[in-house]
Amino acid sequence: MDNDVLLKIEGLKASVEDKEILKGVDLTVRKGEVHVVMGPNGAGKSTLSSVLAGKPQYTVTGGKVTFMGRDLLGMSPEERSWAGIFLSFQYPVEIPGVTITNFMKTAVNSRRKALGEEPLTAAAFLKMMKEKMALVQMRPEFAKREVNVGFSGGEKKRNEIFQMAMLDPVLSILDETDSGLDVDALRIVAEGVNKLRTPEKSTIVITHYQRLLDYITPDIVHVLKDGRIVRTAGKELVARIEENGYDSIN
Amino acid sequence: MNANETLTVGQGQSCRIIVVSSDGPETLAGPGGEWRIVFCRDFSMHLVLERDASAEILALMFPGADSSMDFNVELDGPGADCRLSGIYLCPGSEKARVNVLMSHKSGHCSSGQKFKGIVSGTARAAFTGKIVVARDAQKTESFQENHSLLLSDRAKVDTMPQLEIYADDVKCSHGATVGKLNAEEQFYMRSRGIPEKDAMVLQMLSFLSSVLEILPEGELRERIAMQIEDTVRKAF
Repeated sequence: MDNDVLLKIEGLKASVEDKEILKGVDLTVRKGEVHVVMGPNGAGKSTLSSVLAGKPQYTVTGGKVTFMGRDLLGMSPEERSWAGIFLSFQYPVEIPGVTITNFMKTAVNSRRKALGEEPLTAAAFLKMMKEKMALVQMRPEFAKREVNVGFSGGEKKRNEIFQMAMLDPVLSILDETDSGLDVDALRIVAEGVNKLRTPEKSTIVITHYQRLLDYITPDIVHVLKDGRIVRTAGKELVARIEENGYDSIN
Repeated sequence: MNANETLTVGQGQSCRIIVVSSDGPETLAGPGGEWRIVFCRDFSMHLVLERDASAEILALMFPGADSSMDFNVELDGPGADCRLSGIYLCPGSEKARVNVLMSHKSGHCSSGQKFKGIVSGTARAAFTGKIVVARDAQKTESFQENHSLLLSDRAKVDTMPQLEIYADDVKCSHGATVGKLNAEEQFYMRSRGIPEKDAMVLQMLSFLSSVLEILPEGELRERIAMQIEDTVRKAF
């Protein structure tokens, strides 16, 4: 059912500073699916997520990407966000002097403006903040803190999932969301992601380890090596990688 | 207002001053509470702080005209403290000049300077900040920071931090940077749906924010923060 296709990546090639990282990636994500992209360090996993979110430092040198029928590669990062793409950063950025409340108010209302909607009232916005913060067990006083400034690794990742909940994306890309998390933080983050799952929404989980996959069950598993997807299978592939390593897959 | 001010703050007394370049923006002309608000394009001040006296000074240089601010501060009695902060916004062809001489003449005094600015177009900004610690001024604590965002190839920033320390038991530091808007930060904001132009404004406000911490939280700080936001949004 091609109507179910949310994201279609065909022969995607990308480079950074003249070094080719992605060498022809093909990947199709349908509505409601959870995909995992695994692979050794340096395979191009983070490049793939950055390119999908539109990071200007990367140059796409070939291929095409269609998101909900639209040419994704022609869109700016903010347009991709408005269209429903969300990237959870591996290394969330600190923004001194800007509170989480102000940051999210700017983000939510920018999108509403772009979609021709009125800005949220202060009361409606605060209610939404409260609900979404509860989802990842963020205490209310977090709303007043400067974005990611002085946050622990776990707090930063919870803040990413909180932002994801606020922006209500159609496709979420979680880039190494499990890195640097202790078990409790990992569980909170995974629960947040699971609560946000619907039959209409899809997720791409990018990870080096299987840890996060103890909590988030994928439908489809891809192995990315040297800029190409070399194997696609069901969730049973995760256990094989865990047992035999990436070297066993070519 | 006198552009050439000499002020002695007596023992245990304090002074709080906001110097705003030129005669706008009008929104800043409201009540300052404990803060005296001075409008002056070329401001020069000789400030003497006696024992346990304190001074807090915020200099704001807005676009549209050249301006210069000179501060010659003498910490003249033990326990004196001076906080001197400033922002310069130079989007066009302005010239902004800040000169600070922080003289620690007595021991057990402290001072801090924090100046930040954004310079674009063909504007020029120059910061010269000198900390002098006299031979007898032991246990001095003094820092100086000057950071600028340089947004155009034709704009120019000169920053000249200078330390002259004659005492041997002091804590002094200085830091100066000139940089551009951080690309990673900008991508992070845009990936959340904040348009490029708004992301840049937010980055600039984030960069400037720590300077305003010299003001207590409240109406005055918010009024000034809003004026700076408005200026940054319109001018850069």
